Amino acid sequence: MIALTSPYLWYTTRATGMVAMVLFTIVVALGTLVANRIGGTIIGRFEINELHRSMSIVAIVFLAIHIATTVLDSYVPTGVISIFVPMTSIYKRVPVGVGAVALDLILAVWISSLLKVRIANTTWRFIHWFSWLGFATSIVHAFLTGTDSRKSWGLVLVVACSSVVFVAALWRYLGRPARAAGRTALSPLAAPPAPPSGGRTTATRLGSVPPPPPAAPRPSTGPFPRGPQRPSNKKGRR
Amino acid sequence: MGIRRRSGGFVLSVNPILCDGFGHCAELAPDLVHLDEWGYPIITTIPVPLSNLAALESARYAVRGCPRQALRIDRISDPS
Repeated sequence: MIALTSPYLWYTTRATGMVAMVLFTIVVALGTLVANRIGGTIIGRFEINELHRSMSIVAIVFLAIHIATTVLDSYVPTGVISIFVPMTSIYKRVPVGVGAVALDLILAVWISSLLKVRIANTTWRFIHWFSWLGFATSIVHAFLTGTDSRKSWGLVLVVACSSVVFVAALWRYLGRPARAAGRTALSPLAAPPAPPSGGRTTATRLGSVPPPPPAAPRPSTGPFPRGPQRPSNKKGRR
Repeated sequence: MGIRRRSGGFVLSVNPILCDGFGHCAELAPDLVHLDEWGYPIITTIPVPLSNLAALESARYAVRGCPRQALRIDRISDPS
């Protein structure tokens, strides 16, 4: 317990808390962009999605440092249990408890995303809705606990982050995307070359697979033959 | 990478119930997927040989990048 009362631990806690708040703001905003189907012209939709996923990892790393330094710092008496269980901290019981709730929600969202291929997508979506609540509780935690968030710049940062997410939530609620989103501009057929006749493009981008010869005229509506979706060896499985 | 011999092919397939038309697959695997005018994918049903590593990788990216987990790679064994 020699270096564990070093003020630098406390400074690290404060700094990484602020950085994590900004990063989670960016993550939530990017997730809103994905959900509202933004992108496809200048930046690809998949790029926003990848950025959302990568930034969430970065934000979680900062959150982990924020929490680890809080626990290691023996000047403020917060235990390992009070990280996860609300209202068990001796130091600032309610504010740290709100932070514990936020951490639990963020962990739920994160773990469900790690298990995304194994759980039903509807389950993942249901859990992912709780990221809004997780962000809201962490903002409350930042305002209640933060040494810096009552000062001018800290308050500006908290208000800025919360208003960004508030606008994002409003936009998510009001600007619900139509189910049919239209082609993205990066889609190979988004800007089809002028069709020679009729309305159909005949361009195929099948790599090395040549288009089927037009020997047997079939009433298909596009360059891709509409056969059965897949070979019927798995019939009956959904 | 290319040392192992691969035979057979694969088909990228979509679960149309899960699909919500985000359109990420058409960006990630443009050689396999194009979007209809409502933004939903139309995937080629011609099996792509597994030796086409670029196509296989793009299909894997599309499976991973789908926000609704609606894509799947089906292996088609060699008919020979």
